[in-house]
Amino acid sequence: MMTEILLKISVRELCQVEKITEQFVIEAVESGIAAPVEGKEVADWVFDTTSVHWLKKAIRLHQDLEIDWIAVAMVIDLLRQKESLQREKQIIQQQLERFLQQTQSS
Amino acid sequence: MKFKDYYQILGVNPDTESKDIKMAYRRLARKYHPDMNPDKGAEEKFKEVAEAYEVLKDPARRAEYDELRQYGGRAGAGFEPPPGWQSTSGAGARTDSFSEQEFSDFFNSLFGQRGHEFRSSQTEGDFGFRGRDLELEMPIFLEDTLTDESKQVTYHIPVYENGQVRQVKKSLNVKIPKGVMDGERIRVKGQGAAGQGSGANGDLYLHIRLVPHPLFDVQGHNLLITVPLTPWEAALGAKVTIPTLKGKINLTIAPNAQSGQKLRIKGKGLPSKTGTGDLYAILKVVMPPTVNDDAKKLWTKLSETADFDPRAEWSNA
Repeated sequence: MMTEILLKISVRELCQVEKITEQFVIEAVESGIAAPVEGKEVADWVFDTTSVHWLKKAIRLHQDLEIDWIAVAMVIDLLRQKESLQREKQIIQQQLERFLQQTQSS
Repeated sequence: MKFKDYYQILGVNPDTESKDIKMAYRRLARKYHPDMNPDKGAEEKFKEVAEAYEVLKDPARRAEYDELRQYGGRAGAGFEPPPGWQSTSGAGARTDSFSEQEFSDFFNSLFGQRGHEFRSSQTEGDFGFRGRDLELEMPIFLEDTLTDESKQVTYHIPVYENGQVRQVKKSLNVKIPKGVMDGERIRVKGQGAAGQGSGANGDLYLHIRLVPHPLFDVQGHNLLITVPLTPWEAALGAKVTIPTLKGKINLTIAPNAQSGQKLRIKGKGLPSKTGTGDLYAILKVVMPPTVNDDAKKLWTKLSETADFDPRAEWSNA
């Protein structure tokens, strides 16, 4: 049986599954933690699944570390940068290895 | 059941003021929070610290805990709550943060199982709570991103039975959408941990990781391939056959090619929502590993006639 996969989530469902209020989401968007991919009005906002991942992280940090949204946004921003730099480093390292690798004589 | 010394866990004295308890918690929380610390064991450590703080930050709960501690609790020693023990402070609401899930049996025996509270609206009479979301790394071959590909995912789901957690193996067929990118996350609705009572199931999140390919590197939706050339191919130009993800193509190398030079082959990259990416051929001039006498003569002749100094810039240094 094939399962239903989703790449997007509406603000309504996001609030429901994460047990957060719309106000929570607005604050997160205002501080740059997540950005809706669709929708002008808050009620029409749609997020991609990667945004949900970061939102969840942000909510946990906000609650567990008792830090305010500005600090959470900074942490999330740095974590995101770290993730993308790590990926970039991996790609460049692999390319460099290919370039330096001695070709086997045929 | 072992007695837990919450003061020891937070590294404070039993007479520490509440503001210092908060400080100790914050210091340890920052250090061990699973979102900040990827080390194995950090999550366990964090949960322990969070549980200790949950009790010690609340004056009523702390007073009850102190009483029990007096009653004979020692860290690591066997412990049973006194007969007829009934907490008046309760366990508080349950949320999805790391600090507020799955407290120890010790905690539960003192303060009871935690209730559940929706931070948004809660329907009256709804006593269930939603199952946990699970996140899984999903290795995908580059070739599998070209079409909608069905993949089997096998993972473990925590199941709660009579206060015990058991891991149950589960297999699913998931359609991985065409054009999926490294690092992207896919939500599989309702396939996380089961909800309790009337609560819905959690979701499963698949974190897409592209498996390194033996030939191609990925940069966004573009592919890169390193093309080795002989020095004479680089000098004179050549036609070489190069592999793509969908069969082979012929590539014309213009004369005077250089190592590191990039040639774009349009539309031979990865599919995406905005069109297909390109394939970049990166040239790499390779010397033959050995030189025989005939070749040596030819190289010598070349060295005598060629007017080329790759270190010309150094002469001014």
